[in-house]
Amino acid sequence: VSLVALARALRSGELSPAEAVGTALRRIEELDGTLNAFISVRAEEALREAGAPSEGPLWGVPIAVKDVIDVAGTPTTAGSRILAANVPVEDAAAVARLRAAGAIVVGKLNTHEFAYGPLTTSEHFGRACNPWSLDHVCGGSSGGSGAAVAAGLVSGALGTDTAGSIRIPAAFCGVTGIRPSTGLVPTQGMVPLSWSVDTIGPMARSAEDCAVLLDVLADAHHDTGPGDPRALRIGVAETLFEGELDARVAGFVRDALDALCEAGAAAVSLEPPYLEHAGLVQQALQFPEATAIHLEWLRTRADEYGADVRGRLLAGLFVPATAYVTALRLRSVIAAAFEEAIAPVDLLAAPTLPVVAPRVVGGAVDFGAASENVFRQSLLRYTAPWSLVGWPVVSVPCGFVDGLPVAISFIGRRFDDAAVLRAAAAFQRLTDWHTREPPIWAG
Amino acid sequence: MPGDEGLRALAAAQGIELSDEDLEGVQGFLGVFLPALARLDELLPPDAPGPGALSPAPE
Repeated sequence: VSLVALARALRSGELSPAEAVGTALRRIEELDGTLNAFISVRAEEALREAGAPSEGPLWGVPIAVKDVIDVAGTPTTAGSRILAANVPVEDAAAVARLRAAGAIVVGKLNTHEFAYGPLTTSEHFGRACNPWSLDHVCGGSSGGSGAAVAAGLVSGALGTDTAGSIRIPAAFCGVTGIRPSTGLVPTQGMVPLSWSVDTIGPMARSAEDCAVLLDVLADAHHDTGPGDPRALRIGVAETLFEGELDARVAGFVRDALDALCEAGAAAVSLEPPYLEHAGLVQQALQFPEATAIHLEWLRTRADEYGADVRGRLLAGLFVPATAYVTALRLRSVIAAAFEEAIAPVDLLAAPTLPVVAPRVVGGAVDFGAASENVFRQSLLRYTAPWSLVGWPVVSVPCGFVDGLPVAISFIGRRFDDAAVLRAAAAFQRLTDWHTREPPIWAG
Repeated sequence: MPGDEGLRALAAAQGIELSDEDLEGVQGFLGVFLPALARLDELLPPDAPGPGALSPAPE
């Protein structure tokens, strides 16, 4: 059930908070042994809190939180061994806002270790599975969030997105997720990955659901209605339809744009400058920032990291300071160039990712001919440029290839999060991709 | 790019000891990443401003 419908049923008295929480906990108990979306479940606490939720738009709504975001009294492990015993005493600011609006946190969700990877294959807490096909990855780093929403364990979840960590699992799992404008949602109480790029955002079934959550998280209203596509001017980022892109994925994204245009939207081709370099610039900021955050643990507990994350953190030691400064300067240049490029339109559209979720074979992810690093870079080419400039991006499902979800991204100007949500909502009023349920849904 | 001993010395200067396996991974990554980073300078317009934060939220 959608989060909006669930909240409405709760407010009308059709359902009690205890019943809503009980249903979520039962689904988690039935399905999470298979999915491994959760790292911890707050069954007793959630049922107790359901007795007296705070008054607000999320009154009694069960939600789940990526395990890099603090929930007071529940461990924040970040999917790591290093933080296995880390129990915060305060809620993160984002969680505090959700709870003040009446939400009830039922558990903490699996993540790529320290949110530093696109797979959610933690050596310490196990792989979270894709609800559409259990032997495929669910993406990451907010993989547990994507899997939990896609399988209907909760109707809404928090993820975090630095270089693509909400959009990648949203796309691979067939749910809707928004990376908000950088700075819109407070990140206090989150285990940081890269201070200047980190964001916290919602993942849910629809743009309308995400908007309700984002209103609370940002303490500001994001209007998605009536979502008239006739008012939309869409710039199509043609560069991202070139190169290593699965033609079947491209086809579904073009079909999505056609659906909007048939309903009256106008689409024009755009070539934002620097797009091919912006991902690298973002990584030039993220690598040294992440390493700086982890420096003390690298000195004393390096053998407790998973091999892939340790490798990335160690590589960050050797990024020259001059490259970091160049990247900071380029960020301003690229942000200005993107602003100029988008001037004739309301927002941009592009494939969220170039491929569908890769398969896991014999316990290892099958990247085809690519290495893990090359695969990761191929995803970041699509997601990291917008992180660099702090723009909001919403990813919505728009098709299936080999039974696995495909997604389109709507990308807007910084702090115009409402525009991307309106476009996504308009698309979802025309199509039903976001309402599809994976086979595991029925239990 | 620094050689093995150079990388070990740079890491040691930051209090970190690299294993042989770490070194191999770092070399593989830096072999691709550092040349790409070096080319970023070529993208900077001559009049590019110094580093600064993103613009603040509108009032």
